[in-house]
Amino acid sequence: MAGVRLEHVTKAYGKKIAVEDLNMEFKEGELFSIVGAAGAGKSTILKMIAGIEKPTSGTIYFNERSVNDLPPQRRNVAMAFETYNLYPHLTVYKNIAFPLTTPKARANLTRRQERERVEEIAEFLGIKRLLDRKPVQLSGGEKQRVSLARAMVRKAQVYLLDEPIAHLDARLKFSTQKSLKRMSRKMGTAIIYVTHDYREALGLSNRVAVLNRGRVEQVGTPKEIFDTPATDFVARFIGDPPTNLMDGEILKKDGQTCFRTANFDIEIQEDLLEPLESVVEKEGGKSTVRMGIRSFHIRVAGEKKSRNAFQLPIYAIFRTPEGTMLTFELENSFLQVSLEGQADFGMSDKVWLDFDQEHMLFFKKTIKIAKM
Amino acid sequence: MSKLEIKGVGKVYGGKVVAVRDVNFTCEDGEFLAILGPSGSGKSTTLRMIAGLEDITEGEILFDGVRVNELSPSERNIALAFESYALYPHMTVFDNIAYPLRAQGVEKSEVRRRVMAIAKELRVDDVLQKRPNSLSGGGQQRVSLSRALIREPNVTLLDEPISHMDQRLRAVMRAQVRRIHNELKLTTIYVTHDQAEAVTLCDRLVVMNHAALQQVGTVDEIWNRPANKFVATFVGEPQMNFIAATLEDRSHVSIATGRGKVVFPFKGEAPEKYVGGPITLGVRPQEIDLAMVMEEGRPSIAGSVDLVEFQGENAILTLKLEDRNQTEISVAVLGHKLGDVGERASLCFRDDKIHLFDGETPILYGETFSSS
Repeated sequence: MAGVRLEHVTKAYGKKIAVEDLNMEFKEGELFSIVGAAGAGKSTILKMIAGIEKPTSGTIYFNERSVNDLPPQRRNVAMAFETYNLYPHLTVYKNIAFPLTTPKARANLTRRQERERVEEIAEFLGIKRLLDRKPVQLSGGEKQRVSLARAMVRKAQVYLLDEPIAHLDARLKFSTQKSLKRMSRKMGTAIIYVTHDYREALGLSNRVAVLNRGRVEQVGTPKEIFDTPATDFVARFIGDPPTNLMDGEILKKDGQTCFRTANFDIEIQEDLLEPLESVVEKEGGKSTVRMGIRSFHIRVAGEKKSRNAFQLPIYAIFRTPEGTMLTFELENSFLQVSLEGQADFGMSDKVWLDFDQEHMLFFKKTIKIAKM
Repeated sequence: MSKLEIKGVGKVYGGKVVAVRDVNFTCEDGEFLAILGPSGSGKSTTLRMIAGLEDITEGEILFDGVRVNELSPSERNIALAFESYALYPHMTVFDNIAYPLRAQGVEKSEVRRRVMAIAKELRVDDVLQKRPNSLSGGGQQRVSLSRALIREPNVTLLDEPISHMDQRLRAVMRAQVRRIHNELKLTTIYVTHDQAEAVTLCDRLVVMNHAALQQVGTVDEIWNRPANKFVATFVGEPQMNFIAATLEDRSHVSIATGRGKVVFPFKGEAPEKYVGGPITLGVRPQEIDLAMVMEEGRPSIAGSVDLVEFQGENAILTLKLEDRNQTEISVAVLGHKLGDVGERASLCFRDDKIHLFDGETPILYGETFSSS
């Protein structure tokens, strides 16, 4: 399938490596998100695809043809940035239509077709009523959508969107996200979407790449990224509250393999032993590992209900209309538990916690867990 | 540690610009109250008037029944914590916490005693000789709070202290703030634009918009009996759905479809005068039961899935309802029960989760505005 492909792409600025050995494929019709913290190298990837930056090594392919030596204007790429860069003297209509006014575009497009295209995209993004205004009359959120419309108005090989809705308030974010999703479905072109917000990435995309310090931690569908994070970094970066992470020891107890943390022993299910093996590390004669578990994969009860349950006092408790959040202190770090419905507990109550064993995740220790 | 009363408080800048208009609410001794509203709603101005950083144009503010309008910020004895920790980097943690007491000329052994006591409470007693920058974000926040609380303030004011942190730190901070509030029996007012934060953290909410109070109530009251359409849409994510409907009688509402109508019963009694007329039915995305097969005996309306936004634990489905207007509806479902685009489903509304509005005004639960 045609699309954009990165093969062993590395970009270094002097000694500083911005991104390292990237291998990614963006398929036609796919909305692909790259998510990571500030400085992870997300924008560098977009700039290399656009041709604004040259890879230090590796190859970028468009439709299986190397574009490394093609200048930006010959790559047929459309971009939208977090900053709007609108022409202040032009109306919203003319700003959006601008990419259609090159001589080449003009030759293929009648005025009427141009108007239809602009109006369609403006309608999609909910800015049709603004077409006659000047940028100075717009709010930040409106400008950002105009900028997005201008990027999307032209037919391109690939659309590169760099935090295109960062300045919208929560409500507009949701609706613009929906418009983008519908547009992507309709256009059938590759869209590469860069964001620091994992929610946007999960909600929008067909596939997601999680980037950390210039390296890809995982590529997968939103569900794969959330349910089976490949590394402790991904587990902690994705989700609110993030996956609970705790370090512990692997040991045998009465023939049963257990995970021990803070003097609590939790049995490990038979089918998890094999994946566990690949991440266990030897430290001072002990087998250690990092365990992750999502806040909603922990049960809480007033009495002991299984032999793996362990007792802790409640550090803090929150009740929301939709459920209850409990926080516990465990080994200098916080353990977050979310329950459905209203739990009948109070602060400092001692309760029994029980991990859903099939949802225990095991990782190598690649990141530092900050203490509370 | 004080009861706080806000009576008819208003703020006018330059005799013209009304920033806050006739605000009334009470914060009981030991209560955790949120002032919630979008930017420009007047919430921060209200907070600044309580702190004494802003003159009060009209009305009065009372601490334990005593008018404080004319008192300076320090005379009001308030702890203020903002988003940034504003710790002195060249001082040790001990000296940072001791600073307000030394400034008051408190005797040396008394300073030591009180610093040790608060540091123990906030779990920074083992880092007293360190510099703030060597601590984690959570540690710095606890030092900052220790410094704010050491004067044993009447009221603790928090202005968006955690809204811009990453999700991991936010979960930690939230738990800490709530724990400290309970442990030290503080009276806390928390200003935020983030409805999820307010709903999670606080006992009661003061909702503001356009310089005016919209509703004061517990989280449950605001969730289940919003005072107007603004509150109904501002609290809850994704926002409440609205569907054009007809009031059949005082306990039934109908939605017109291509083939007739679907009648839904609801709890409560609508006023007689609306019977037979058009009405807006409101229902929260979290409170819709979605079935891929029709349930016998329960009224339901069909819709087709247009978008699926995966969010991790949950997914948000956008459906086109098969009513006359093809209304767009959001439904929150568990993440592992994803629907497919194009799939048809039937939507049931729980009889106690139906809201009815005449324009902006809810008609089912009457006067819910309370300023107690």
